[in-house]
Amino acid sequence: MKTPKRQEPAKVVLQARDVSWDWSGLPLRWIPGEPFASHLINVMHLLLPEGERWFVKVFSEALPLIKDDQLREEVIGFIGQEGMHASAHQGVQDYFSAHDLDTSTYVHEIEHVFGRLLDDRGLSGRRAEEWLIERLALVAGIEHLTAFLGNWVLNSPALDAAGADARMLDLLRWHGAEEVEHRAVAYDVYMHLDGRYSRRVRTYLVAVGYLGWLWIRGVRALMKADPGLGKKDKPRWRDLFRTKRRGTTPGYWDLISMSWRYLRPGYHPSHEGSTSQAVAYLATSPAALAAEQHGEA
Amino acid sequence: MSPAELVAVPDEPALGLAFRATARLVAVYERISAVSGRFRPEVVAVDRDLPAVVHSVRREADGVVGLELRPRDREHFPAWEPGCHLDLVLPSGAMRQYSLTGDPADLTSYRIAVRRIPGGGGGSIEAHGLAVGDAVVLRGPRNAFPFIEAPGYLFVAGGIGITPILPMIREAVARGDDWAFVYTGRSVTTMPFLAEVERLATEHPGRVYLRPDDLCGLPNAEDILAAAPPAATVYACGPPAMVDAIRAAVPSERVGSLHHERFSALPVRGGEPFTVRLHRSGRTVEVAGDETVLTALRREIPAIAYSCQQGFCGTCPVEVLAGTPIHRDRCLTDQQREHRLAVCVSRAEDELVLDL
Ligand SMILES: [Fe+2]
Ligand SMILES: [Fe+2]
Repeated sequence: MKTPKRQEPAKVVLQARDVSWDWSGLPLRWIPGEPFASHLINVMHLLLPEGERWFVKVFSEALPLIKDDQLREEVIGFIGQEGMHASAHQGVQDYFSAHDLDTSTYVHEIEHVFGRLLDDRGLSGRRAEEWLIERLALVAGIEHLTAFLGNWVLNSPALDAAGADARMLDLLRWHGAEEVEHRAVAYDVYMHLDGRYSRRVRTYLVAVGYLGWLWIRGVRALMKADPGLGKKDKPRWRDLFRTKRRGTTPGYWDLISMSWRYLRPGYHPSHEGSTSQAVAYLATSPAALAAEQHGEA
Repeated sequence: MSPAELVAVPDEPALGLAFRATARLVAVYERISAVSGRFRPEVVAVDRDLPAVVHSVRREADGVVGLELRPRDREHFPAWEPGCHLDLVLPSGAMRQYSLTGDPADLTSYRIAVRRIPGGGGGSIEAHGLAVGDAVVLRGPRNAFPFIEAPGYLFVAGGIGITPILPMIREAVARGDDWAFVYTGRSVTTMPFLAEVERLATEHPGRVYLRPDDLCGLPNAEDILAAAPPAATVYACGPPAMVDAIRAAVPSERVGSLHHERFSALPVRGGEPFTVRLHRSGRTVEVAGDETVLTALRREIPAIAYSCQQGFCGTCPVEVLAGTPIHRDRCLTDQQREHRLAVCVSRAEDELVLDL
C-alpha cells in the first residue's frame, strides 16, 4: 500500500544554471492565434532584464547586513539565478529588436525606473541603509508575484495544447521553476532585516501596483510595435477573461487571491507552489540539461 | 555625414509625463522609508553552528569510517531529509561536506561516512583521525539532492556515493514504492554498508544488484539502467564518470530523468600562486595555487558578492586596475575583459590590483 504524498523538501540548495537558447525562427506571437496572451507574456522580456539585474544589485549590497550564514548562502544562490534570468530574457529582447519589433522607448522607460529612480539615489549612512531595506521589501513582494507566475506556468498544459513555441515554454518553465525554488529567499531576508507587517503590506501594494502599471504599458507598447498587427489590435481588459478561460494566462481573480494570500499576517512563501514540482521540471528541462552537459565538459 | 554627426550621442528618448511625476513620488517615498526605518527592530544575529561530539567511530570498508555525531549543546539536531549534507568543521578549522546517511527520524544523532582520500587536501585524513569524544562543529543540514515523488526509482551508487542513497532507499521501502538499486565499487572490500545492502537484498529479492568491478567488469550505463522499474526516476551518486555516462543515456525507454547532487565550485587544478592588492583598502591577499581569487578575497571581504563559482552568472566580476589576467569566465565580453575579472574562476600571471 502506498502511503500518502511524499513530504516536500523543506528547502533546496540554490544554484544558477548556465542555460541558453537559440531563438532563430521564433515568431513574435509564439502562441499561435493569441497575440494578446503572447505579448502579455512577452512583456517579461522587456521588463525583467533590467528588473532582475536590479534585484542582483540590491541583494548584493544587502549581503553585509545579513547576520545569518545560512540565509547569506541562500541569497548568494538567489543572486546567480536572477542574474541568469535577466540574461535569458535579454536574449529574447535582443532577438525581438533584430526582428522588427522596436520597443526601445518602453525599454528606456524601464531602464529609467530601475537604473535611476530605484538606484541608491546618492544616499549614504542610515538613509542609504533604510532605502536598501525598503527596496529589499519591494523585491520580497515582487518575488511573491514571480512565485505565483512560476507555479502557474509549471501548471499550464493549455500553453502546450495551444501549440506554443517549445523553446519559449522551456524558458518560462525553467525561470518559473527557479522562482518556485527560491521563493522564500527575499521574504526571509525581509523578515531577518525588518519583518514588520505594516512595511510588508505597504511595499507589496507599491511594488505590485507599480509593476502592474508598467506591465499594462508594456503590452500596449508591444502590440503597437508588432508589425504583424493592425491598428485595431489593441489590448482590451476583457481579453484577459478570454485567455483565462482558454488557460493561456492567469485571470483577474487569480491575481486578487494571490495578493490576498501575501497580505494575510500568517503568510509564508512555502505555501505558494511546490518545490518538488520545480525540481522535477528542472531535471527534464532541455536547457537545464544542456547546461549540465557543458558545465561538466 | 559630418564629423559632428558621427560623434554625436543620440538623445535619450524623452520620458513621458508619467515618469516625471513618478520621479517626484519616489523622492517622497524614500523619505517615508527613512521615517519607517527609525522604528525598525534590531537585526538579530542567527548562530547556525552546531557544536557536536564524535559518539562512535566504525570501520565501514577499506579506507571508509562511519562517524556518529551527537549534539553538545542541545538534545536534538535540526531535521533533515534524504539527500541532505552537512559541513563538518574539523579541529584544524578545515571544512568538508558529507552526506547524511542515518535515519532522519532519529535526531539525537547524525551519521556520516568518510572515505580517506590521500592528497585530497588533508580533510578526509584528519576526519579519519577523529576519535570518540572529539569535538567538532557542524553546519547545515542543507539539501542539494532533493528526493521527490516519482512513479518508481532506480538508485545507483558508486562506492562512498552510497551515503545519500541509503536513506532514500529506506524511505522508498517504508513507503512501498517501486524501486531497484545498483551498487558499484572497485571491489566488495571497498564498498561501505555492505551488510545493510545484503540485508536489503534478502528482504527484497530481485531489487538489489551488487556490481563490484573486479567481479563484474566496469559497469556501463545500459546495464545499470536495465535494472530500472518502469517509468523510473534515477537517483545516482558516485564517481563523475559514472554519473556522466548515465546522464548521456537518460531519458531512455524505462527512465524519465536523472537526479544527482549538484556541486557549484569545481576544484582548482594546476594553478600558480599570485598576489592580489586591494586598491581601496590597501591590503594584499595571497592566492594559493589550489584556490580561486574569490576564496582568497573572502578571507578579507566575507560579504563579497558572488554566486555560481563557475564563471557564467556574472555576479562576481570586479574592476581590474593593473596586472595580467587569465580569463576563464563565460560571462564577460572581450571589451569587458579589458577591465573586469570574474574572480570565481579567472586568475592572473602576476600581481593583480583590484578596485576593492
Ligand atoms: Fe527571476
Ligand atoms: Fe526570483
